[in-house]
Amino acid sequence: MAGNKTIKSAIESMMFVWGEPLSVKAVADIFNTDKKEIYDCFKELQEEYEQEGRGIVIREVNKSFQFVTRKENLDYIERLCTPVRKRRLSQSALETLAIVAYKQPVTKGEIEAIRGIRCDRVMDGLIKKRLVDEVGRADSVGRPILYGTTDEFLKQFGFETLKDLPEIEDIEGALIEEDEDAPVIDGVLGQMSLEDL
Amino acid sequence: MSYRVKLNVFEGPFDLLVYLIEHARMSIYDIQVSEITTQYIDYVKEMKEADVTLSSEFMVLAAELLEIKSKMLLPRTVMDEVGSEVYEDPRTELVAKLQEYKRFKSISAMLEERAADAAAALEKPQEDLAEFTGEPDEYLLLDTEQFRAAFELFLQRKKRMEELREHHIRTEKERITTEVRMAGIREFFKAEGLRETDFRRLVPNIEDKYDISVTFSSVLEMMKERTLDAEQKKLFGDILVKATDQLFEEGESNGRE
Repeated sequence: MAGNKTIKSAIESMMFVWGEPLSVKAVADIFNTDKKEIYDCFKELQEEYEQEGRGIVIREVNKSFQFVTRKENLDYIERLCTPVRKRRLSQSALETLAIVAYKQPVTKGEIEAIRGIRCDRVMDGLIKKRLVDEVGRADSVGRPILYGTTDEFLKQFGFETLKDLPEIEDIEGALIEEDEDAPVIDGVLGQMSLEDL
Repeated sequence: MSYRVKLNVFEGPFDLLVYLIEHARMSIYDIQVSEITTQYIDYVKEMKEADVTLSSEFMVLAAELLEIKSKMLLPRTVMDEVGSEVYEDPRTELVAKLQEYKRFKSISAMLEERAADAAAALEKPQEDLAEFTGEPDEYLLLDTEQFRAAFELFLQRKKRMEELREHHIRTEKERITTEVRMAGIREFFKAEGLRETDFRRLVPNIEDKYDISVTFSSVLEMMKERTLDAEQKKLFGDILVKATDQLFEEGESNGRE
């Protein structure tokens, strides 16, 4: 049985070579040990990099880890060279992605109902960018395709897991008390104020 | 109406409606439907004048707004199950839709910020790991010129093969012609010094139907030229082919063709 220190050392080397997010499962298979132990090793290593304020930090993406540069150093890196920048998403793409992220698994019809406009092109674009993917089919009539977000989405938007998606109430920062005049509308929506947006 | 909207790009009908409501400093819970509908339709008209193709969804919402507007004029109380009068606002459904839309609009703003922040951390793309796997891919040590030459060689060979195949097919199709067979028959008579013979002897390969028929039509052709004569005593009987004087004369004057 490899010791904690050995595993962490090995993980570090493996992440260096792998480049892409290295999954806990892959490492657990290599050491023939349980995933929890490996996950803890990753987390410890991540903490060490963070503590020491290294220029390289470890990013978690859905139970996988990878080396990335420290955000604060971007300015220096840009003075050295020009890293390839991903093009920013359009407003409609962001809106659609927001719906997929918070409503997943979701059908195109449901997305269109919220946006009030067709979104085939936008969805195709998101799929091409690997931010959204098909995750199955709904049981309803016609068995429409269900969409969900990908690990690439988590990575590009800096979430470790989908659970990291902030609560909608937090985003809106509005409280029910401030909005006593509002008539009560059925469902969750009624609890939110939109006045302060 | 003096109100004028700059031709902003709206992501959809809800986007436009939310903009108009906010612009008019209205509460989303108390939309002045009449006013907003007018503004909305004005905007749609303006877009049309500006020759912007609006998707049909904009018209659908315009229709919905008009429907709500007309419903607002009607008595708005309905009976619930227990028989008491309940106030029903025709705007409720629209308000719920707009709220949900605005909710995702704010989420998308949050996502945009997150993306900008996350993009500050750079990753190294995965390198080619083949050299670590023990079975490295074999790389061709060729420069572009060599590669091009090799490819051209391949194309040439392909072309040659195609030509060959074409030729091969042609030779199969190009079987003996009546003209050739006629010359053969003439030669046969001259060489043998015969004046008449059984048709079968004129066919080199009696098993080959094509050979038989080409010989037969050659004989017919030569009969037309009056260089041959033929006789068949009975139906399906043997055919006796006779050479006429003309055949021998022709041979002497014109030579073989």
